[in-house]
Amino acid sequence: MSAGLGQPVAIGARTAPSRVVFGPHVTNLAHGRALSARHIAYYTRRAAGGTGVIVTETASVTANDWPYERAPLAEQCRAGWREVARACAPWSTLVLAGIGHSGGQGSSAYSQEVMWAPSPVADVVTREPPAALDEKGIGGIVAAFGAAAALAMGCGLAGVEVDAGAWSLLRQFQSGLTNQRADRFGADRLLLTRMVLEEVRRRSGPGALVALRLSCDELAPWAGITPEQAAVTVAELSESGLVDMLTVVRGGPFSTSAYRPDAHAPESFNQELCASMRAAAGGRFPVVLQGSVVDADRAADAVEAGACDLVEMTRALIADARLPAKVRAGAAGRIRPCIRCNQACQVRDPRNPIVSCVVDPSSGYEATEPALAAAADTDTDPSDPSDPSDPSDPAPAAGSPVLVVGVGPADPAPAAGSPVLVIGAGPAGLECALTLAGGGRRVRLVERATRTGGALLQAAVGSGRDSLAGLVRWQSAEADRLGVSTELGVSADAALLDQARRDGWTVVLTTGARPLAGRYPGAAQPVLDPLAVLADPAALPDGPISVVDTVGDAVGVHLAEWLATVQGRSVTLICPDTVAGTQLSRTGDLADANGRLQRAGVDRRLRSLVRRIGADSVLIEDCWTAATSEVASSAVVDCGHRLPEDRLYVSAGDRTMLRAGDCVAPRSALEAVLEGRRTALRILGTDGPATERDPVAPATVTAAPA
Amino acid sequence: MSGGGRYRHLFTPLRIGSLTVRNRIVFSAHLTNYATQDGRPSEQHAAYYAARAAGGAGLIITEEHSTHPTDWPYEKLIHGFHEEVIAGYRRITEAVHAHDVPILAQINHNGGQASSMYTRLPVWAPSPVPDPLFREVPKAVEAHEIAEIVAGYARVAGHCIEGGFDGIELQCSHSSIVRGFLSPATNLRTDSYGGSLSNRARLLVEIVAAVREAIGPGPVLGVRLCGDELIAGGTTIDDAVEVACMAEATGHVDYINTSIGVATATLYMIEASMQIPPGYAMFIPSAIRQAVSLPVVGVGRFKDPLQADRALAEGQCDLVGVVRGQIADPDFAAKARSGHSEQIRTCLSCNQECVGRMGLNRWLGCIENPRTGRESVPVAVSAPARRRRVLIVGGGPAGLQAATTAAERGHQVTLLERQHRLGGQIPAAASVASRAELLDITRNLVAAVGRLGVDVRTGCEATAETVVALAPDVVVLATGARPVRPWWAGGAGDFPTVIDVRDVLEGASSPSGRVVVVDELGFHQATSVAELLADRGCQVEILTNAMVVGQDLGITLDLETWNVRAHAKGIGQATDLVPMGVGPADGGGVRLQLQHHPTGTDRHRDCDWIVVAGHQQPEDDLWHALTSSATEAPVYRIGDCLAPRRAHAAVVEGYRVAVAL
Repeated sequence: MSAGLGQPVAIGARTAPSRVVFGPHVTNLAHGRALSARHIAYYTRRAAGGTGVIVTETASVTANDWPYERAPLAEQCRAGWREVARACAPWSTLVLAGIGHSGGQGSSAYSQEVMWAPSPVADVVTREPPAALDEKGIGGIVAAFGAAAALAMGCGLAGVEVDAGAWSLLRQFQSGLTNQRADRFGADRLLLTRMVLEEVRRRSGPGALVALRLSCDELAPWAGITPEQAAVTVAELSESGLVDMLTVVRGGPFSTSAYRPDAHAPESFNQELCASMRAAAGGRFPVVLQGSVVDADRAADAVEAGACDLVEMTRALIADARLPAKVRAGAAGRIRPCIRCNQACQVRDPRNPIVSCVVDPSSGYEATEPALAAAADTDTDPSDPSDPSDPSDPAPAAGSPVLVVGVGPADPAPAAGSPVLVIGAGPAGLECALTLAGGGRRVRLVERATRTGGALLQAAVGSGRDSLAGLVRWQSAEADRLGVSTELGVSADAALLDQARRDGWTVVLTTGARPLAGRYPGAAQPVLDPLAVLADPAALPDGPISVVDTVGDAVGVHLAEWLATVQGRSVTLICPDTVAGTQLSRTGDLADANGRLQRAGVDRRLRSLVRRIGADSVLIEDCWTAATSEVASSAVVDCGHRLPEDRLYVSAGDRTMLRAGDCVAPRSALEAVLEGRRTALRILGTDGPATERDPVAPATVTAAPA
Repeated sequence: MSGGGRYRHLFTPLRIGSLTVRNRIVFSAHLTNYATQDGRPSEQHAAYYAARAAGGAGLIITEEHSTHPTDWPYEKLIHGFHEEVIAGYRRITEAVHAHDVPILAQINHNGGQASSMYTRLPVWAPSPVPDPLFREVPKAVEAHEIAEIVAGYARVAGHCIEGGFDGIELQCSHSSIVRGFLSPATNLRTDSYGGSLSNRARLLVEIVAAVREAIGPGPVLGVRLCGDELIAGGTTIDDAVEVACMAEATGHVDYINTSIGVATATLYMIEASMQIPPGYAMFIPSAIRQAVSLPVVGVGRFKDPLQADRALAEGQCDLVGVVRGQIADPDFAAKARSGHSEQIRTCLSCNQECVGRMGLNRWLGCIENPRTGRESVPVAVSAPARRRRVLIVGGGPAGLQAATTAAERGHQVTLLERQHRLGGQIPAAASVASRAELLDITRNLVAAVGRLGVDVRTGCEATAETVVALAPDVVVLATGARPVRPWWAGGAGDFPTVIDVRDVLEGASSPSGRVVVVDELGFHQATSVAELLADRGCQVEILTNAMVVGQDLGITLDLETWNVRAHAKGIGQATDLVPMGVGPADGGGVRLQLQHHPTGTDRHRDCDWIVVAGHQQPEDDLWHALTSSATEAPVYRIGDCLAPRRAHAAVVEGYRVAVAL
């Protein structure tokens, strides 16, 4: 039923090969402020997977707009844009250059210059006041948008997308929250957007697509853009003929985290908003639905229901670069599911993490670890003529970056090499097993528990967290499909290991982690493991519960919230940090999580260490002042770090034995999937030239010959 | 042979192994984030170190070079394990040696004080104990991995010597796998690398031997040790002294460097801000120096040559690490030696643009030295074509910096200041005891304008007419900012006890009784005034709409110490509160209406005074007057009168406008 998603759609005078859009997003793949070879490989993999429209990472139109260190700068994107256009051409994907200006939401840290904005209103996040633009400055920005568009078209792109979304100067001009001007740009807050679109249209020339990303709800109705105002804007723009495609988004100064939230927000949350904007557009241009659209069926439904014409599925395409191809091939069930965890794909962070994905850790590393990506893209059926990645289709132009897209690690041909015994069916073991099976190996997967999924499935309880299960469910189904022999309820021991090795099996240990017992010696009340509590909350004694979180990831925060709201318990969250869940800054959930905790009535004891666990209270101490206090408590849930379950490895006494995931060091699901797949590729002998011991640095795209 | 006049000890040469340093001033290892994106040393590294060599430092030790691909805790770390670094090393060593100054390379593996974010490999450490900052459970290294670590040190030491360095320093002190092994807090091993101190020091001893073997007898080899980790169950001074003795006993080590704290747990004591007294870490070199005969380096907020000379005279150490002092003024040593120490651009220990930028993955700079971090970017060196008459209006950091740079470049500079003293908002900010050293920025700049013969006219209010009458070639407006009464604060006539931070610090108001400080800025303004008022006997609470009071104090490493003082002074704190209005309180005083935004509930506070630390607005009346008048001279705005920000923006813009004249 999702097949319509994979069909071509007209945009302006052009046709996109599918209705699936890969939206502009921060990747930190840039080299300096130029698009890198890693960018090209990243985008081309999505084009090869059947994506209809790709909007490249938003490039600043002026050099003094430098919102994050690796933010592309239009004037440095010539080679990169040219190369993306060329590399994606064989798949007919429409590639648009994302261009923008972040105004007062940028940063002065890299430019060492003042930020410019409609009015001197400090951004909520940075608290740095910008300077107000004058007419001359505005004129310069309009011209810069035009110059960027002209440059992009000169590079052979299909068009440009102008950013008026959650982090944009154009939205700042449109919003009463940030535009307090008394001049014509205050009287007509859409004026600058129109001027920019006119200039972009003029400079990009005939046939160019001009798309607009528009925040249609700032979620701040007292002065911000409301859906009602946005509908008027859209109607006005539809009359103007300045726009060929509109992407409806939400978010403003108080709600940047609402733009691309984690799984605490419902899927497809913008659908109603988008439908009303599409109505306002009156069919004059296609409208794109954005916002946690990760499921192909849901996306197709939205198109069918008339809410939109195309669907932006950025995170879903990070999780599975071949989503449109799988839809087209009627294999939507085989799509690696985005679980909306935001753990690795949300990279607007000063440390400049590279965009990647828990579900497919090869994303972002296409150019540096190509075998890892190839192992994920094994759906290609060379006999399917509709598959644009079919080698009989026009090959990528000579000189374009080498891509190993759509080519499996091996023909799923006769089992060659030794059979493999994988011990432990969590995300690491499952990934290892399915990759090996996909590579033609015979695989036996044994799991001590009565279900697959390991700690990840155990953690996937409750609102905002249950979607995590999608990864291991998919892995289990894929392992089954590929013929992995899975045995549940089997506790592997040294004897099993010895037997297997005597029989010529290769053994991989993916035995996971175990709780650290005895972290609080002398505790006079139960100290419980969070996974055990999620599995059986009735095992908690009556009375108030203390959740002690020394890690600061989603586990402790979620457990505290879940105990308070779902289980109706009185909960104190004790953590050493100045905010709860400090590591959630990466996922965008930090402030929201602290809000939810407070609304749930969880008592947050911040900056606190546990000093003693008594019979009915916990003694805590302030990290800095050493002031102590007592917290009433009948049980402690210890969300501290775990230890590797490495007893089998130690008893085997063979350091050459292969291991992956938590049994090496307990970390997140990303490392489990990554190491599970890498281990499989090592066994298959296809782990490629870029070994993990030698991380390859990004290379700049050098100017391609004309 | 000694020199240096007043600083006899500081300028006495010293032999370190095979090397002789001409003075005792060490530019010790510190992160810069100058490495290229692919982990190579950059042109900027070379220019940066060369500037300090040119400025007379006795010894330079570079920032750390990683010894193994499992070690990549922050993005811009030099990957010493790649042979490709050697070319960059040569560029650095040649640039420094050109000034006849020796330079050592610090090499290191950060061990468990790291994450796998960049490596996508397990983090290595002695035991699976996660670091308090990175929070990632490391892999406990096995015997073959320990051998790989040792070999990595040796290989990288070889690269460094090949790259022209005069020796190697092993960072075993505040962020290191060697520290991890030495410390009982992170080493839980039961094999021959855990347990007794000699077992815990086994890795260090093996590395020392392997590195000496790799570099041969000539080059210098130093070991930097932590004298007190300041964490529960961590290394303390007795262990550190014993380890120093073990290092000396190897016969391979030429000097001992010291430090205090753990970078990922107690950083605020490693790079102490102005809130920690100078000399706070000197008990460490003092103790070690009594136990070993090797030269010992002492560190910790040395900002003045006199202070450094005294530490040497008192026998606390043999060499003195002056890092921030030379970041602020590369010519620290030369000025001290030539008897011009009053011209040293003294470091404030504000940590704002040096330390504060490191944690944010940005290149190292300096609040008062706009050239720091930009040494490799050429400036127009030649004198300007024409000597211009430059009129600067405003004597805060922006105007003073513009005046200094313009005068240095040969222009004729007049500076008008409305107040009777220079410095803008700095003197008021520095009137709080814990922020007193901030005043050095003004002191340095005022001294400079005096030295350079700038025509400074205080008590002189500039108008469009006075500007035109002075007939300047160029006008630079640095007129600053003024407080804005927040929308929720009612009229000043109705609520005279709702005031701005500046009203308190500049002495216009003297709140008493119950005071609520509203922090809308998250920096020192609110916390400073709260402390001041608590000291005066007020009952003080700070409220903020943010999740943390004074959140940016975390960046400058002031958050911990401020909170300790706030607790001692009884200052209350509450977060997530948005002011919604004021009214009379029952029983007198003023009521502040609040909304607790996470829950949407209404709250209030009754108090006698409300002090607002809020955004200011540009003092730009003169700008508007001049741009609408017929002034022919170009008019520039810099600093707060463009947009009210922190002092660094003022200095950068003052410098930039003057260089461009």
